[in-house]
Amino acid sequence: MQRRWHLALPLAALLLSACATVQPWQRGDLARNEMAFEPDPLLASYRRHVEFSKEAASGGATLSGGGCGCN
Amino acid sequence: MIRRNLKRLLRIATLALCGVLPPVQALEIGEAAPALVAMQPDGRALALASLRGQVVYVDFWASWCAPCLQAMPALDALQRRYGARGFAVIGVNVDTERKAALRMLERVGVGFAIVLDPQGRWPEAFGLSAMPSGYLLDRAGVVRFVKAGYMAKDLPQIEAAVLTLLGDDGDAKTMAPRAATGGAAP
Repeated sequence: MQRRWHLALPLAALLLSACATVQPWQRGDLARNEMAFEPDPLLASYRRHVEFSKEAASGGATLSGGGCGCN
Repeated sequence: MIRRNLKRLLRIATLALCGVLPPVQALEIGEAAPALVAMQPDGRALALASLRGQVVYVDFWASWCAPCLQAMPALDALQRRYGARGFAVIGVNVDTERKAALRMLERVGVGFAIVLDPQGRWPEAFGLSAMPSGYLLDRAGVVRFVKAGYMAKDLPQIEAAVLTLLGDDGDAKTMAPRAATGGAAP
């Protein structure tokens, strides 16, 4: 019984794997605008401004730092 | 005990490797291009072998690839210039959506042969490493030059390779400065 599990587990892992290698010519879907973290640059800039105003710290997601206003 | 540990190790290794596909075997310089056939936008088949006897630049492009948009007019100009001497460009589109490919073709308006390969058989056979990519084949269908990616400054290098295969390397300066802005001669 245990031996069956030894065989079944790797086989199941192989078949149920969600990982895949995306080849360069298969990146059409990844290149879509809606796949970007921030598809709209204007909206992204607005969000950064809101964050800066609320947190008193500029840099948004690109810089480390707290809300002390000293960076 | 050792056997049990080995089995555990094997299981972990299997889990770690199960999502990794073997890398595509890239076509190297000096290797013969594979015998491939694909449909043109008008529905006629085009075989790569039918261009044997000419120096052929196989350009892989897609509608979502911005540098491809830059490369295609430059390659079209190369074919117009050297076509009479036996140079041909074949554009292999890898879009999964036919409409997107045709829209870009309308926008760019190139005169060289185009084939549509939504299944990606051609790029797989060539072992593409980047988009766009270009493979220059000699008259016998052997790969003599490979260009992964494209920037305007790459054009003189491509043109020089074409001219070498056409049997003339004294004419490379004539087109390059006009088409490649700020590019250095190879």
